Amino acid sequence: MAQTTPVAPSLQLTPDPDWIARRRWARAGLVYTLLLLLSILFMGPLLFATLSSLKDNPTEWPPSLTPHQLSPRNWVAAYRLGRQGGGSGWFGSFHPGHTLTMEVTYLVPAGSQEQMIQVAVPRRVPGAGAGAVRTGPFASDVAVVSPVEVIRREEREDGVAVTYRFSITNGSEDVVVDRVPLDVTKPQEYVLLDSTLPPNRVERRGRVHSWNNVTSGVIPYVFYNYHRVFTENYSRTTGRNLFLTWIGNSFLVAGIKVLSTLAFASLAGYALARMRFPGKNALFVFMLFSMMLPNQVLFISNYLVLRDGIFGLSRLWGGGSLLNTFTGLILSGLVGSSAVFIMRQFFISLPRELEESARIDGATPWQTFTRVVLPLAKPALGALTILTFQGAWNDFFWPLVVLTAPQDKFTLTVGLLSFRLTYGVAFDWGPILAGAVISAVPIIILFAVFQRSFVEGISFTGIKG
Amino acid sequence: MRLSRRAREAAWSYLFLAPFLFTLGVFFLYAFLRTLYFSFTEYDLFAAPRWIGLENYRQLFGERLFLTALRNTILYSVVVTLSQTVLALALAVALNQKLRGLTFFRSLYYMPSITSSVVITLIFMWLFQRGGAINYLITVARQHGRTVLVFVALVAAAQFIQVVWERRRGLPARPLDPALLVVSLLVGLAGTWLLSTWVYQPAEGVAAQQINWLNTRRRWPAAWGAPIPLIAIMMLNIWTTAPTFMLLFLAGLQDVPRELYEAAAVDGATRWVAFTQVTLPHLQPVIFLVVTLGLIGTLQMFDQVAILGDQAPLESVITLAYYVYHWVFPGGAMPRVGLAAAGAVFLAILTLIVVLIQRWVLRAQ
Repeated sequence: MAQTTPVAPSLQLTPDPDWIARRRWARAGLVYTLLLLLSILFMGPLLFATLSSLKDNPTEWPPSLTPHQLSPRNWVAAYRLGRQGGGSGWFGSFHPGHTLTMEVTYLVPAGSQEQMIQVAVPRRVPGAGAGAVRTGPFASDVAVVSPVEVIRREEREDGVAVTYRFSITNGSEDVVVDRVPLDVTKPQEYVLLDSTLPPNRVERRGRVHSWNNVTSGVIPYVFYNYHRVFTENYSRTTGRNLFLTWIGNSFLVAGIKVLSTLAFASLAGYALARMRFPGKNALFVFMLFSMMLPNQVLFISNYLVLRDGIFGLSRLWGGGSLLNTFTGLILSGLVGSSAVFIMRQFFISLPRELEESARIDGATPWQTFTRVVLPLAKPALGALTILTFQGAWNDFFWPLVVLTAPQDKFTLTVGLLSFRLTYGVAFDWGPILAGAVISAVPIIILFAVFQRSFVEGISFTGIKG
Repeated sequence: MRLSRRAREAAWSYLFLAPFLFTLGVFFLYAFLRTLYFSFTEYDLFAAPRWIGLENYRQLFGERLFLTALRNTILYSVVVTLSQTVLALALAVALNQKLRGLTFFRSLYYMPSITSSVVITLIFMWLFQRGGAINYLITVARQHGRTVLVFVALVAAAQFIQVVWERRRGLPARPLDPALLVVSLLVGLAGTWLLSTWVYQPAEGVAAQQINWLNTRRRWPAAWGAPIPLIAIMMLNIWTTAPTFMLLFLAGLQDVPRELYEAAAVDGATRWVAFTQVTLPHLQPVIFLVVTLGLIGTLQMFDQVAILGDQAPLESVITLAYYVYHWVFPGGAMPRVGLAAAGAVFLAILTLIVVLIQRWVLRAQ
């Protein structure tokens, strides 16, 4: 113990209860403030990423917390424009004979010459992803833009606020287009005050205001990047929607892994906990050892094993290489050591009496296991389900090795990497963030519902890498 | 002839264990032995492996990329493990109160560690872009640095005066007495607001700090320091794992008997003495667990490097785990599986050493 000099009791007042109570309250207040600050620290990046995934440009400077996609006024405007285009208000489109009306208000600064603005529907390929190759009819081929008229002029201190109106008509006989991009060219010094729908970009050093799609309807307007994630990515071989396919693949692989893990880990865990057989201790030690080995130490051989179809066994059912197959991905992860370990620990903690009586009644180990033990194991199986699903859903390294082509075969994590390669080149962060947010949603829902299992599981197995 | 009871039980056990034995045998035992074997051969995934003895290991320690990977891995492991342990411990001690609603915050703090590394890495890459939020926050901090200093100074001064005052009245006020601290914070806020509106103007015209975090070969703090992209990954990993470890520490702190603190207080021990003499010894097993888990986890860091990909120079972020992958699938070049396997064996040995040290220390206790 360090030397301490206690204050002589005679010099020290005994604090009255109020004094102590004040401290208790103040401490609670400070701790809650700290908790809140930490929430911002730990949740902030995730929430800010979710918010920014709605933005036109997620790397804008300075970053704003109020993208125009969050304003209800704009939702109403998007709904109206969607209806004007002849589609629904939620998912708009542009039908023959329909006309959209837009208004834009610019501030013409004092001392600056007033000029007419130019409106054009450009021929723009949607997006930069794999979907950019899939082009439909262009709005520029069918849209007829009316002459621009000035409908209001308002004198202000700093200049004149001029409101322009124009309309766009689908002049074709029978061509429905899904998107109408729009460019408004104006003098550089004009300042945008208001518009029916806010423009998505400023181009050419402030000379052009550009809209992605004025007939988008509410959903593609607010969730523009999310809409792109689903509509811009199609498989080049099968034409299927890639992102939906990846989500399906991830669910499929994770689901099967959960089932196989539940079945095989409880069987093996039970055997390790209760049965006697030669080599039990050696098996247990090796199991612990295998839990510590990094995947990167094992994947070379595992890759070759799958490539050669598990020593040629896959030829028995007519298959060749198991690379780029879900069979291969799943077979190599049928049941993990940590799952067996969790089940073993659980079974060891169960009282033996029930099993003893079952055995005396002449039940086989299989009967004892299925009728007596498994019903008792529900809580452990629940926790294991969550943990396995989370592990399989988030797994990145092994799918990256096994699934390389075609893109249809990817799971969501590998797909996100390919997203990052496709869009990251152009620093087009919108779809990347949107894809990341979507792929985090199932786990977050699972976590919200089954928190307890997560917390138990994490303290059980430690932390992922 | 009937089998003996023991033989029947063994037969049933192996039946129960069959699927597990299959995966363990093929994908762990066989895989590990084969990696070991490959590390003594020259192999390109196609032609048959050729035995070359210890040549790969000799080459390994002469290869620049491997040495870079080794250096990065050790730097990364040590820095991340140390800082996340200290941070987690500090937060846990600060939050070790019986409070309502702690479970709610606990769930919030778990969020980063349950989300997949791919999602977290993508979000961090975005935050670390030139025009990203990190650079923006740095810019704001630069602009308001003086204000923050003024605030801290005011709070410290107010607290000092109050504590001295209370002590002269004979009350046992501690340096960080919470009730006084609340008053000091309020004084600080009001004072800073008054000073910044009436006395001085916050610095203006500070240029936007557009630091290049990812695509750079620069190091920090100097040429001997850590590559800047690796520092970004370090920050990411500390952020994801510190809250989880904090919760492990919190659980450990709840087990420390209250009487010990009371006894220390009766002895007149300061907070710091109570922390070093009571808290730390009790937390030792947890600290050990956290350090081991941290080391094992950080030694295997791979995902972040793979996802960063061409956004950062390979030498700045490569780790041992990625080194192995790099030589098995080197893109355009010929795979050098032997070299990769030797690297993998080295990584396994490193992990094993950490685990053995932990076992050894636990046994010694």
